[in-house]
Order: sequence, then C-alpha cells, then structure tokens
Amino acid sequence: MPHIIDAPVDVELSPDGDPRAFIWNRFEHTVIGQPQAVFKRTRWWENEGTPTRIDTELWRLDACRGSEEQHRYDLRRGTDGSWTLALDWG
Amino acid sequence: MSTAAGAFAHLHVASAYSTHYGVTLPEALAGQAAEQGANFLAVTDRDGLYGAVKHVRACVDVGIRPGLGAELAVHDDQYRPLGRVVVLAHGQTAGRGYAALCRAVSAAHSTDRDALQHGAASHGAPQNSTAQHSTAHGAAAGPSISRARLADLAGLASLTVLLGPDSDVGLAIGRRDNTDAAARLAHWQRALPEGAVVLEIVCHLAESGTIGSVTPATRLLALAENAGLPAVLSNAVRYGTPDEAVTADLADAARFLLPLAELETPQTNGQAWLKPAGAMRQVARMVVDAGLHDNGALERLLGDTEQLADRCSLDPVSDIGLGHPRMPEARIIGVTGDPVIELWRRARSGIAELYSASGSRAVEAAHHQLAHEMKTVEHLGFASYFLTVSRVADIIRGMGIRIQARGSGVGSVLNYALHTSSVEPIANGLLWERFLSPERQTLPDIDIDVESARRHDIYREVFRAFGSDRVSLMSMTNAYRGRGAVRDAGLALGLPDAQINVIAKQMWRFNARDFRRALEEKPELEALATEVRESQQLDLLVDLTAKLDRLPRHISVHPCGVILSDASLLDRTPVQASGMGLPMSQYDKHDMDPMGLIKLDILGVRMQSAMAHAVEEHHRLTGERIDLDRVPLDDAKTFELIRSTRTLGIFQIESPGQMELVGKLQPEVFNDLTVEISLFRPGPMKNNMPLKYLQARHGEVAPDYIHPRFEPILRETKGVVIFHEQVMRLFDELTGCGLGKADVFRRHLGKPEQLPQIEEYLREKALARGFSEKVIDQIWTVLAGFGSFGFAKAHGAAFALPTYQSAWLKTHHPAAFLAGLLTHDPGMWPKDLIVAEARVLGVPVLPLDVQSSALDYRVEDLADGSQGIRLALPELVGSTEGERARIAQHQPFGSLQDFRDRVHPRRRTFEALARVGALDTFIGYDRTRRHELLAHIQSLRGTAVVIRADQLAFEVELPVPRYSGDRAGTITSLELRGRTQTDLELLDLNLAIGSHQMKRFHALFKELGVTPASELGNLPGGTEVLLAGVRRATNTPPMRGGRRVVFISLDDGTGPVANVVFFHDAQERVGGQVFQTNYMLVRGRTRRSGARGVSVTGENLWNLFDVARQVKERHAVERAAAEEAASAAAYAAELAAHPALRTPAQQSSGGGTLHQLTAAQSA
Repeated sequence: MPHIIDAPVDVELSPDGDPRAFIWNRFEHTVIGQPQAVFKRTRWWENEGTPTRIDTELWRLDACRGSEEQHRYDLRRGTDGSWTLALDWG
Repeated sequence: MSTAAGAFAHLHVASAYSTHYGVTLPEALAGQAAEQGANFLAVTDRDGLYGAVKHVRACVDVGIRPGLGAELAVHDDQYRPLGRVVVLAHGQTAGRGYAALCRAVSAAHSTDRDALQHGAASHGAPQNSTAQHSTAHGAAAGPSISRARLADLAGLASLTVLLGPDSDVGLAIGRRDNTDAAARLAHWQRALPEGAVVLEIVCHLAESGTIGSVTPATRLLALAENAGLPAVLSNAVRYGTPDEAVTADLADAARFLLPLAELETPQTNGQAWLKPAGAMRQVARMVVDAGLHDNGALERLLGDTEQLADRCSLDPVSDIGLGHPRMPEARIIGVTGDPVIELWRRARSGIAELYSASGSRAVEAAHHQLAHEMKTVEHLGFASYFLTVSRVADIIRGMGIRIQARGSGVGSVLNYALHTSSVEPIANGLLWERFLSPERQTLPDIDIDVESARRHDIYREVFRAFGSDRVSLMSMTNAYRGRGAVRDAGLALGLPDAQINVIAKQMWRFNARDFRRALEEKPELEALATEVRESQQLDLLVDLTAKLDRLPRHISVHPCGVILSDASLLDRTPVQASGMGLPMSQYDKHDMDPMGLIKLDILGVRMQSAMAHAVEEHHRLTGERIDLDRVPLDDAKTFELIRSTRTLGIFQIESPGQMELVGKLQPEVFNDLTVEISLFRPGPMKNNMPLKYLQARHGEVAPDYIHPRFEPILRETKGVVIFHEQVMRLFDELTGCGLGKADVFRRHLGKPEQLPQIEEYLREKALARGFSEKVIDQIWTVLAGFGSFGFAKAHGAAFALPTYQSAWLKTHHPAAFLAGLLTHDPGMWPKDLIVAEARVLGVPVLPLDVQSSALDYRVEDLADGSQGIRLALPELVGSTEGERARIAQHQPFGSLQDFRDRVHPRRRTFEALARVGALDTFIGYDRTRRHELLAHIQSLRGTAVVIRADQLAFEVELPVPRYSGDRAGTITSLELRGRTQTDLELLDLNLAIGSHQMKRFHALFKELGVTPASELGNLPGGTEVLLAGVRRATNTPPMRGGRRVVFISLDDGTGPVANVVFFHDAQERVGGQVFQTNYMLVRGRTRRSGARGVSVTGENLWNLFDVARQVKERHAVERAAAEEAASAAAYAAELAAHPALRTPAQQSSGGGTLHQLTAAQSA
C-alpha cells in the first residue's frame, strides 16, 4: 500500500528536464533509472475557481537515500513549478 | 532546409477553425511556434482547410515555413470506416501537393452519405473516441474520403498520409491486436503509392491503460520499424498553451452536446498543446524507452519528423498561389479578342448611350474620366474583372430582376457605362480613386444588391453560365457571441436549460469576454450579478463564457459572396455543399484577397423585392409598368412625405433615430438624402457631425470653409467633412499628391501611429502650395479628428437611390408599396406596425378570406374606389405549405363542402381558419354565426359518420345549419367565448388586423390621462406626459459620449409610433424593465427635434398589466369605500338618532395609482 507523504521537496532536474534527485527531510534521494511522467486529468468543474490546468503532473520514479533500499515514489509538480512528494509506494 | 537543433516541427495541429475541437487561432499558433524557435508549422484542421489561408499568412508574417494538411475520415471500397488520418500536402511541387489536398478535402465532403451510413451500420464503428465523434454527429455521416480516391490524389508524390492513433491501424494497436494492425498497415501500403504512408506517433503521457499513454505509442513505433516505414512524432495539437485545455474541454462538451461530467471519452488530459522542442524530445524519449527499440530509434524518430516537415514546407507563392489573382477565362465572359480592347469598346458605347442626353460637355467629361480609369485598369490588369462583373450584371438583368450596385465601385464611370452601376458618378461628386488606384493593392470589390427573393435563382444561373468548376459560394465563419457562448458553457457545466435560457436572454449588447465587467456596470444585470456572487458554479460560468467568446463556431454560406475564377478554382480552394446544395468554398472573405480569388457580393435586399412586388401589383391591377430607375429624382410630394418623418417602411430612414434626423434635416433634394444617410453612422455621430451640419444648414451658424480653396469641396455639406471623397480631395488640394495617394492617406488617418508622418508631409507640401500656417493648423485638426470615420459618398448615394424610390412608391402607390412591405418584410418594424401605418394612410388591411387571400399580400380595389390590402395565407400560424397552395389553386369556393373537398385541410387549420373568420364567406359574413360554423366544423370531424358503401364519401350535410328562434345564440364555442376578433387574430395570425391590440386599454389610458401618440406632435417641448403602448422596437444607437441610450418605440394604435428615449440615469431607475417589459406605461417629457419631429425622454416605466390590475384594485377599493360610505352615511343617520354610538370615522385610501407605483418602485 502506498504511503501518503504530501510534503514539499526540492527537486534537481537533468538537462532533459527529468528529476534526477530530490531532497526530502534534508536527505538527498537519487533517482535510479528512467522516471516516467504521467498527466492525470481532473474534474475541474467540480472544484472552486477557474482552473489554469486540467491535469496534474506526476512523476513516478525509483530513488534511494544513500545506500538504502530503493523505493518507488510519486512526485507532483504544481502549476507554479513547486514539487510535492505525494506518495511513497514502498 | 533542415530544422535547426532545438526546434521541433509540429505536423498535426488543429487550429480554432476546427470548430468545437481546436481552440487556438492560427495567428497565435504561428506566433508561439516562432517564439519557441520552430521554423516550420503545419495546420491540419479537421475535415478541411478552414484555417489554412490564415495559417499561411501568419507563418509568412512571423517568418516560418507553413505546412498544410487536413485530418480526414477514410473509408474502404465497401464504405467501412478506416478511422481518421492526417493528409499532408508536399511542397515545392508547383502547387501539385496543395491542389491534391484541396481535391481530397472536397472529395471527403462529396461522398455519398447514404452509402457511408450503410457501411457504418452494417459493419459497426470502431470502439474509440472516433466512433463517439461519429455517433454523436448522427452516424458516420460526417465527411469521409475513400481510400482509393485518396490513393489517386497521393500519386506523383503529392501527399503524405499519416496513420496515427485514430487510424484503423492505430485503433488496432489500441486494442492490443498487433496482428490486425500489421494486416491493416499492409493494406494501406498496397493501396497507396510508395512513400505515401508514414506512421504517426502520439503520446500525451497519459496514465497507463488510457488513450494517449506511452504503451500504444511505443507499439506503433515498433510496428513502423517492423514494416520498414518511417514514423514521425506529433502531438495531435488542439491548443497552443496548457491553460487552453479548459477551452478544449468546453469544445468537446459542445461537440457531443453533453455536460463534461457525462462525456464518455473526455480528452485524456491537458497535454495536446503546442509543446516546444525540449518537451517533445522528452515525450520521444519516454516513448522509445518504454519499448524495445534499437539504439538509434530516438534520433531516427525526430529525424524523420524533420525530414517530413521539409518535404511538406509549402512555398506561399509557387505552391499556394498567394497573392496571384485569377480571373475567368476570356471565352467564358464572351470575349474572343483582347479583354482590354473589348472593355474599351463596351465602355465607349455605354457612355454614348447614357450621357448623350445630358449634352456634349457631359459626354466629353465622361470620356475624359473613362480614359483616366482605364489607365489604372490596364496598369493593374483588371480588364477581365470588369467584364466579369458586367457579365454577371447582364445575367441578372436578363432574368428580369432588380439590380443595384453598392459600395465604392459606384464611383466609377466605367461601372456606370457597363451598366453594372446605376448611379451617375460625376454629377454626384463620386471618386474613382476611392474604388481603385495603383496605390490600392487589394482586389477591387463591387457589391450588387438584388431582390432577395430571387437570390438563389441568380446563384444557380451564374453557376450555369460560368460552369461549376469556376464558381463557388463563399463561406463565413460564425464566431461565438454572448448567447451561444453562455449556452455552451452552461451545457458543459450541466446547468439546467431553464436557468441557461434566463441568463442567455440577458446576454446582449455586450461582448461575452466583458461579461464580468458588464455584470458590474449594467443596471439591468443587477439581479444576475447578485446570483453570480452567491453561486460558485455561476461564477465559473462567467469565466468559461468569456473563454468561448469569439472562437469560430461553425461555418455557413456567406449571405452574398460568390467566388468567380478560372478552371483552376477547385485546385485552389476546397469546397463542400452549402445548405442550398451549391458548392461552397471553405475559405471566408478574409481569405479571398490573399488567395487571388475574385469575390462578387450579390446581396439579396428585401426592399428590392418589396419594391418589385409593388411594381408588379400595380401592373396586375392597372396594366401600367412603373420603371423605378427612371422615376425623376425631384418629386416634390415624395420629399414632402420624407420631411413629415412618416418614413416607416422607407429604406434606410425608418428607424427612430433616422426619423429624428430626417425631421431635423428636412431633405429637399436627392443629395440631402445621401448626406442624411452618411451622417447617421457611428463615426459621424460620435464626432457630433450631425449637429454641426444641421446648424450650418439651417443658418444658425455660417458655414466655415476655412479657406476659399476648400469651399468647392465642402460646399455641399456646409463646411462639415462627412465623406471620404471630401477628405481625399482636401489632401489632394493641400499637397497635390493625387487622389490615389490621397486615399492611402485617408485610410491611414485611422492609425494613430501614422499621424505624425502624414502631418509632416502635409504641412511641408501645403506651405509650399500657398496655405498659411493657421489654415493648415485648422484643417489638420479636422482631418486628424476625422480619423477613418465617415462614409464613402459612393455608399451613401447608392443607399439614397432605393431610399428615394421606396419613398416615391409610398407617396404615390401606398397600397401596392405596403403590400410589398408586408410580403417581403424588409425593414426593422414588425408587421402589425405596418398594418397600423396602413390604417393611418387610409389603406385598410382586409381580413384573411379563403376566397381572396393569396400566397402573398395583394392589393384589392374596393367598392368605394379606394384600395385595400388582403392578408396573405402564410400568416395563418400552423398551416402547411400544401394547404395554402391548394387554397390558392382552387379559389373561389362554392360552398364549405367544396372547400373541404378540394383543400383537405387538417383539423387544426380548418378550425383556425374558422376562428379568424377566413371562412365567414360560408355564413354570409355574419360574424355572430361563427360559433355555429366552428361547432359545425368540429362536429364534422368529431363524430364518426357512418357512410354506406353506395354513398359518396362527402355526401354529408355541410352547409352550416342555421339556428333560429329559441335556439339562436345557444350554440357557443368555448374557443370563441369572451374573445374579441383581435384576440383571435393575435392567436392564429400573430397579427391584429381588425383593430389595434391596444384598443382594449384605451379606456384605461383615458382614465390615467395618457397622451395618445397621435397627439404628441401638438405638444411643446418639455411637457410632462404619460405614454403607453406595446413595444415595437428597441434600439441602442451609437451615441456621442459612449454612454448607452435606449430607444423604445411604443405603439398605442392611434398613429405613428412614439419614440421614448431612456438615458443612463433613467435606465438605472428602471432596471431590466427597459428591455423586458412589452406592454408599458411611461412617464417622460417631450423633446422637440426639428419642425416636425418629437420624441419623449423617458423618466419612469411600468408594466401596463400591473397598472391595469392596480387600477382595477383601486376601483374595487373605491367601490367598497363608496359602499362603506353609503352604509356609514346610513349609520351616521342612525347615529344622529343615537349619539351614544359615535366612533372615529374611517379613512379611505387616497393618492393616485402612480404615486403608489412610484413608492413601490423606490422601495
């Protein structure tokens, strides 16, 4: 079962624009392999206000802290460019 | 040329002209692409090239290479759908690729629909979004091209066909059926020429398992590799930026006519935007990484994309023919030799014919002017154009149809001599250079007004004469406006219809994108504004409505544009069927000039039909033919009528504002009409030109010509600059620049950034030509203030002619003229007002009668020697065309049985005819027997009549039984009881003929002291009055100062309409009622306008029904009070006898109804 984290994180990007590492709880997590971007649409008409996006940008990636075992994570990028660590899939 | 590194070439892009699909205008897309560093952009609209010309021009403007294509549905030879593909034209082929694309689009639209539907029904549609598109649009009946035809057109390396996720191959991949996909791809390869098939990889980074995820994309890429075919990457773009995805959602809802929450396949996410190179490369990487591809797969995919973009880069000139005009071939317009020589010959003979009556000096002047005009025509190579237009005019005249040229072309002696135009330009002071000059690079534009009722006949004849490969109708793009936008936004949100309707009704007189501001500012929207503040959903609705505003919504046939070209027309424009069956170009009026397409505006004008009808009626009754074009233009009685402001029904000058201006101006000669029409335009109104002109005209101020050398130019308008032609002449006089150059300056006056340059030039030249600094200062202020406003005198004069002609008819043949107006309904006023006008003019409108009513309004000679107008059959609400035709065919009828026998009316029609009295002929025109008639007709139908086999079916006693003695008056029909003839007429005809619908209020009006409209003219200005009546028109004309003014025309049945004007403060007081109340009581003050005109400034407004009810209640109260008073008096008498019982006296309610109303309203 995934673990809901929902914490703001700093993300380091590769020249191609993919996340290469993120810092969570002061620890750097290094991305392993090719992260996959997924855009999930929202039912924006059910929410308040007029949206500027109709989807949410999620990056599913494998990362590890130092030499610890790798976990699978979902990172979410907001419309303002800020990153949130959404889920820890374990 | 290869795409630079860091650039990405988008090959599959829908612009906003893919209606209800794409949402970004081509100009924005091209601008964005250039900004992102791309040097190529294709637009591939759905089912057509709707945005193609705009795209190419936008690409030229921003300096990138344009590509063109179309997203088309394809079917096989058994009409089985093969999904949707993108067809791209190859460039650098001398137009071959573009021509094949045009033909492919036209072919898709000309496919036999029945066969297609058959195919879709028997084989089932694919299970995907495309299937939903088709079903939502009513089976697979949309445009579709057969693969065989597409293969033909793709020959000679003209086209590339992209098979993407929506093609049958991509759909098979989506179903994970790789075997089927491979088989289908092989089929395509066999069917199409080598090299024409390319696979299109699209990935919107959607969640896995949904459309647009990486999995199907990577599989399709693998399929290409296995088949040895190139694959390109596209983003199947629907919008420029990610935030426009919301608008695309709305477009989907509108396309499927479903709320967003109910869409089966909404767009999978918001990634179909015009992504820059980096983002596209990222997509490519993810697609390649998701599957097993060899090492070079990524670079090969991007490289193949670039290569195809190179191949599809079109040269605007050599491929598309941008800016290269093509006229019909000489033989088509009946010319065997050199068109220039032929044009000279025809023009000279025209001058001899038209000017010789005016003397040799006029002939000489005309020849001189002709030589001047011909120099330009020869220089620009437009001889064939003039011959073409004159050929069309000849065709129309040959059909016996009224024709009148309009627009700047009226300023040309050449057009006059060729009989294209009927206004003489020299004496009217019109200028050729306003129409055409070497400085004016755009194609000339001649507009022709014809009888509206014959317009389609004319189109068919032009198609026949020129050949359908040279002629096409023009289309027009209808954009979202307020009401449509709020309806579709409301639909998307799933708001109830009733609620949307209420809001939509209030969406007028402002732009939808200003919705929020309008809510804040407009007093009549106050209630809605409150609702919006309280509802999150309505708040969203306001924003969504603004997003849709101005987006192209659908295309339809342009009301007047006909494209004339040579036999290459269908290689240069795609066509589709118009509503009337004739082919229509997918290009609109903005595309004509750049595409070198000659467009002729053949505009149906109802007034021309109305006048033709009047002339025809006069001929039918008297045998006399009126030639309207030869009526002298100085008829005193006609001008007298115009000056009286009784202009209802007269072309151009019948609106309340025009009536007022006519009253002030008091026209005396034809040129006054030209001036009047030209003054009543937004520009002149905003610049207060009418007032300046009127003051000078009526001698209140001396005309100010500024300089004697300007006087000849400005004399006709008393020193006020009104016409474009005057501005041109002033420029020429000041600088000696020539009239052609002067027209360029005139047009640039509207661009503030150009003004300093023009001023500098003008000052330098004018000084040298002897004008003083002071004069130059003065005239420059006038010219700069004029801007691009004003009116071409050529337009004004062309409008003034039918204005005069219709006024002449109204003066001398009112019955025939009004019959024409009622038949063709040319003006702004509803029919009941024309009926009222007829009543005032002493021309009775005769009731509907099955014995004499025809399919149109006919004039009847009456016993007393006067004339009346017989109501036409089509006015009967709910009657069918067949019924009406049979009535007209079999008139007159011997009996009711005869009528029923031959007309076979439906029950509903039969009863309606009886109710309004159209069958009174069968009861001896005794209205009191209509109850019997109706009851009889109902019994005929209501009871089953037993008919013996040997009896004829209609041998039923049909004459209406006459009841007498005790039974007289016992038959009453519920439908008639308590209803006046007026009620019945309004019910079944929507038109009160017998008497005015306000008549029942006349007693109330008298009690309240309402001034009848007919008396208004006798009151001095500033008198406080009460007016009442039914609203006939609402106008918000252009006004100086920009504040909105609302004109309401009230009809109380006593005479002409009374015009009430509500200024801003009154509108705030009255609120929404100013637009919503139809039967109203108004309090205001009279305002004199000129010698004859009067209007009322409205101060307050009440619903007439409310007033009537309150008066009734007051009467009841008063009656009760009176009774009480009477009993009180009795009581008092009793009291007098018994003083011990005395109590305080009761107070009766006092004060007028109006005071109560005012109190209620202010509360």
